[in-house]
Amino acid sequence: MRAMVIKEFRQLLRDKRTLGLLVGLPVILLVVFGYAANFNVSKIPTVVVGPEAAESAAQLHAPFDVTEVDPVGNRATVESRLQDGKAAVGIVTGQNPVTALMDGTQLFAVQAAKGAFARMAQADVATGGKIPVIAPEVLYNPDLKTSWIMIPGLTGLILLFIGTLITSLGIVRERQAGTIEQLAVMPFRPWDVIFGKILPYLLLASLDLIAIVLLGMGLFGVPFVGSVVTFGIGALLFLLVTLGMGVLISTVSQNQGQAIQLAIMFVVPQILLSGLIFPVGAMAAGVRWIAYVLPLTYFVDISRGVMLKAEPIAGLWVPLVVLLGMAGAVLGLAVLRFRRDLAPSARHRGEDDFEPVAAAA
Amino acid sequence: MTWGLEGGTVTFGAKTAVDDVTLQVTPGSVTVVVGGDGAGKSTLLRALVGLVRLSGGRAQRPGKQAIGYIPATAGLYVDLTVEENLAFVARAYGVSGSDCRTRSEELLERIGLTETRSRLGGQLSGGMQRKLAVAMALLHRPELLVLDEPTTGVDPVSRAELWRLLSGAAAEGTGVVVATTYVDEANRGSTVLLMDQGKTIAAGSPSDIIGAVPGTMGVVRGSDRPPGQSWRWGTSWRVWAPADDLPDGAEPVAPTFADAVMVAALASQQVV
Amino acid sequence: MQYLVGARSATIRFGDFTAVDRVDLEVGSGEVVGLLGANGAGKTTLIRMLLGLLIPTRGSVSLFGGRPSRATRRRLGYVPQSLGLYDDLTVGENWAFTTAAFGIAESTLPESVAGYRHELVGDLSLGLKRRLAFAVAFSHDPGLLVLDEPTSGVGPLSSSHLWEDIRASAERGTGVLVTTHNMEEAEQCDRLVVMAEGRVVAAGTLGQVIGDRHVVQVDCADWRGVFAALDGDGLIVQVHGSRLRVPGTPEHVAGLLHRHDLGGDVSAVPANLEEAFVDIVTKASPR
Repeated sequence: MRAMVIKEFRQLLRDKRTLGLLVGLPVILLVVFGYAANFNVSKIPTVVVGPEAAESAAQLHAPFDVTEVDPVGNRATVESRLQDGKAAVGIVTGQNPVTALMDGTQLFAVQAAKGAFARMAQADVATGGKIPVIAPEVLYNPDLKTSWIMIPGLTGLILLFIGTLITSLGIVRERQAGTIEQLAVMPFRPWDVIFGKILPYLLLASLDLIAIVLLGMGLFGVPFVGSVVTFGIGALLFLLVTLGMGVLISTVSQNQGQAIQLAIMFVVPQILLSGLIFPVGAMAAGVRWIAYVLPLTYFVDISRGVMLKAEPIAGLWVPLVVLLGMAGAVLGLAVLRFRRDLAPSARHRGEDDFEPVAAAA
Repeated sequence: MTWGLEGGTVTFGAKTAVDDVTLQVTPGSVTVVVGGDGAGKSTLLRALVGLVRLSGGRAQRPGKQAIGYIPATAGLYVDLTVEENLAFVARAYGVSGSDCRTRSEELLERIGLTETRSRLGGQLSGGMQRKLAVAMALLHRPELLVLDEPTTGVDPVSRAELWRLLSGAAAEGTGVVVATTYVDEANRGSTVLLMDQGKTIAAGSPSDIIGAVPGTMGVVRGSDRPPGQSWRWGTSWRVWAPADDLPDGAEPVAPTFADAVMVAALASQQVV
Repeated sequence: MQYLVGARSATIRFGDFTAVDRVDLEVGSGEVVGLLGANGAGKTTLIRMLLGLLIPTRGSVSLFGGRPSRATRRRLGYVPQSLGLYDDLTVGENWAFTTAAFGIAESTLPESVAGYRHELVGDLSLGLKRRLAFAVAFSHDPGLLVLDEPTSGVGPLSSSHLWEDIRASAERGTGVLVTTHNMEEAEQCDRLVVMAEGRVVAAGTLGQVIGDRHVVQVDCADWRGVFAALDGDGLIVQVHGSRLRVPGTPEHVAGLLHRHDLGGDVSAVPANLEEAFVDIVTKASPR
């Protein structure tokens, strides 16, 4: 038995990927749950409009982070800011009672704001009632339902799994079986092979996406008030990123086990750090940048924005452009690497050897 | 028109996998490349079909439409049926519907898989899988058929059947190249190329190679290793003397092909 | 001769399926016995039974004079096709593991592989791996060695080194059972046992197994034409360069050639082991 133990240790120490996982995973989990996993939003972007905007703004302290004071603006201004995600709370002054509009898609920010208003009111009573009455109004997700904000994000998760994990497994399986080599010798162009392989997963993911959205709407009453086209574009771009990632993973994996390990390392951080569960705004500043590197973060923005807020393309141009860039980079790299597997001699035609002879038929 | 490699060299970084090897494949004949693991056979064949780039020398091959290639690992889809596998290659090579049907039937019959056409590739025995892979490579009537160790690990009955398929293809005009580790299979070819550590150690027809063995061959019985170059064969020893100087007790014999292979391998080791 | 392992009328049935059918097999001290058979012939099941991993449904198996047990297994050396080596350990570490497992107190790496002590097994060539696997199996001085396709995939020099190791151990008294698909390897054995469909269908020396089987050799100018003709007539033609070998009689083949208006010299020649094997096995299992 001792011999077995010694042998297992020796083998384990040489397995870099497993070691990486053993060391890396606890560290990641520690960082996430220590710094990032936080439901308390400490800074709520707020916009104040109306004739008494300046005075009201002065009365707002933490957690409110007043980013804009607009004496000329009105309710419509605030609604536009909320819809575009530029603010989570908007105070409309100049009426009685003063209205506080809150973005229901930012569940925890709203809860923090409500708590803050309540505390302000209490303190006010104690000091003699100087602050006007505030009437809170939650837009987009009035009942503050968790399912309403989770399900749009879940659609992204599905796309992530299919795009990355399942695609990479599908391609690696072929590599393991040795049939990729043959494809390279058959009259396929590299594009035929790459897109031929990706297309079924694209279709599958799209079908799954539609199913989840419909189920969400049917079972949980999640609304879909925005443009289907915008949603579609966002989904397509995100899918291209994940598919590209899947192909890329397959080019660096020799077997399915390795592919799964890499896919997990790509997917798990996104589940935890993309704003799907824990709000990005609540993450400690030192780790918040991680969220902005993850593609899912941007898709969660898009899907929540479109489904719940009818956010127009203009408001979503940032996440859309970022996804476009990511898709271009990842797909480009993936295709380049995959081409190397499929057509090693093609690039050097005329340089040294190839003398094609037309088939006698 | 001969296909092949002329002075082909393939290097991967510091390692030379194929070193100045010339391989000729004539249509309607079988060329066998023999060598052990690491000899460079796979790399040579892959350079021939264009899967790896030559670092030196030239390659002559027909267009992709006219090549059939089977890598060392199976070469069929285990989760598709026999029929579906054939349909896939037919579509890939643009073999028309009716042509595909007649050709598939013909091939299925030759390989004895007409009854099992709906069986999944993964459910076939090793020998049957190889036969199917050959059928798939022959479907589009290639001019050049390249097979990497198609018979390794296959039982003798299936191996004989595989060779029948390959000879049949050669009889119909295809140029066939087969890599193998089994020395006795070299006799099946009209041309043989022996490789060791990336280099050619002998080339020509089997009788040419035997004829080219210099010195004398002898047999010594008993369990003690005789002096000089010798190796075990059954309970006796085969001895080779570069000139005429067989050790005492050795009985001169005519060299067999297996002897020629050993002598070539020993000679190349000495040069290195 | 003292038999090291013997099967007497051994039968193994899995439900309705008879994998091994009344097989008699012995391996004596100092003998090298070759076991041949198509895949599915029952070779692997038979081996597992000899190793003590399966109990015969009927008949008996004896290993070193008694029923196979953990104690007798210590005196057995086995090298499977997959070699049973750990690619991510060095040669020295693999050796240490096996010798510890068999309880061998101190042992030094044999000369054949000593120079590679610190190399990872995964980095070695196949020939070296096989030599190491053999050395490991032989490390505890077994009375019986069972080798599964020992030289499969290996070049001529490595193969000859391996067979030297095998012969040397046989000369020291070890009995060796080798399974193989390689005709050249089979010819190295003292005795052959041929299996098909779970039964032993031929046994004896090489000469005995081939018997007086003959095939017809055809020498002709147009081998392709002759091949097409004979193949079309349903004969199984083997091509060796430009010489053809066909089962049958010279008269019959000459007649066929005449009918196709083709020329060629026909003569009867002794069958080789492969042809004899195909003949034996196909006769034993009519399809």
